[in-house]
Amino acid sequence: MTFEPNILAFCCNWCSYAAADLAGIGRMDQPTNIKIVRVMCSGRVKPEFVIKALSDGVDGVLILGCHIGDCHYVTGNHRTMKRFQVLERLLEHIGIDPRRIRLDWASAAEAEPFSNMIREFTEQIRELGPNPYAGSYA
Amino acid sequence: MLVLMLEDIRKLVKRTLDGGKVDGVLALWRENGRVGPHLFVKGDDVSTLEIDPKYNLAAVAILALASGAKKIALIGRGCDERALVELFKRYQIDEDAIEFIGMACSAEQAQACECDIPYPTKIQFGEKVDGVVPNELKNVDDMSLDERFAYWRDVFAKCIKCYGCKNACPVCVCQDCVLEDPMWVKKGEIPPEFPMFHLIRAYHMADRCVQCHECEEACPMDIPLTLLYRQLRQDMKDLFDYLPGASDAKPPLTTVLEDEKLEEGA
Ligand code: SF4
Ligand code: SF4
Ligand code: FES
Repeated sequence: MTFEPNILAFCCNWCSYAAADLAGIGRMDQPTNIKIVRVMCSGRVKPEFVIKALSDGVDGVLILGCHIGDCHYVTGNHRTMKRFQVLERLLEHIGIDPRRIRLDWASAAEAEPFSNMIREFTEQIRELGPNPYAGSYA
Repeated sequence: MLVLMLEDIRKLVKRTLDGGKVDGVLALWRENGRVGPHLFVKGDDVSTLEIDPKYNLAAVAILALASGAKKIALIGRGCDERALVELFKRYQIDEDAIEFIGMACSAEQAQACECDIPYPTKIQFGEKVDGVVPNELKNVDDMSLDERFAYWRDVFAKCIKCYGCKNACPVCVCQDCVLEDPMWVKKGEIPPEFPMFHLIRAYHMADRCVQCHECEEACPMDIPLTLLYRQLRQDMKDLFDYLPGASDAKPPLTTVLEDEKLEEGA
């Protein structure tokens, strides 16, 4: 059986979720591996969310927000960006491939870039294979 | 030399108490053969005062101040000073309420703590010795991702989730801890889910860990916690030029600074 990645995407209400919506309305072709969780702002995504997803067996996690300067809450995505850098390094220290997580931006009008991001990331996770880190010692 | 230093500190404490500018001096004392923290007040017998073993007093200062003292002096080491700095900026202690009396650690102590900065910025007692880099740091750095994952998985498999690490930490001060929230950490399960439990704690320590080593000393399972936190400290330095406890700079993960430079594309 071929491996189909199971990917979680956190999209902020104001930009990236609107981009996802627009991609849908435009009937753009994109992989169906992504499950979107809508959050009000990318700044809502605590690192715990990402860690839990990986710990629970999700193969890859995307965080998509508004471009820097465009956050509906002005600086929410600044924080996301700073936290994300630390999280990437932390994953690496503990032996988790940081390529399993990605932070990117999409404006409400960027349906096509959004689709491309999803496609690229899905391919990347497909190459990395199933999540070997899923939690617990059971 | 150590004995002399101890005698000098005792004398200073006596003078400080007699001087009346502080309500007490927080230090260690020997009582019934054991050494622990104590708030010396005027009239106390300072010959019971001790400086060993190392014991981080920063969090104890919160209790001392809560018990009614308005201003206290604190006899501490580099890690005490750094922890105090973090507690000041996180509004846990009023900076004006503490008079810090600093002592540098001996080479042996620095080695025992594998401490990178075994001295405070203000040294009143002792001589500054070099920081120590643990050998294990290079070992984990040289591992492949998979080896590292196996390493930490095995190490953390020993965890009995006693919360000793969190309780001993002078800068772990949240009222509600996510590690006790069943949303993130299942109740009644040991070892706690890996990587959840330890990654969460590590992340939370990133912009505050002052490398005092208290967590590791508290850990009954000999888990090398500070190895991981030390790497994160280095990350904070590399990414944001921020070293917890080094200055009153705001913690970059929880703030957005007006003049902060950020570029697109993390
Ligand atoms: S995490 Fe450990 S080393 Fe760091 S400040 Fe807390 S107790 Fe000290
Ligand atoms: S002190 Fe050690 S055993 Fe206890 S919770 Fe922390 S890591 Fe686990
Ligand atoms: S609202 Fe989109 S990132 Fe903050």
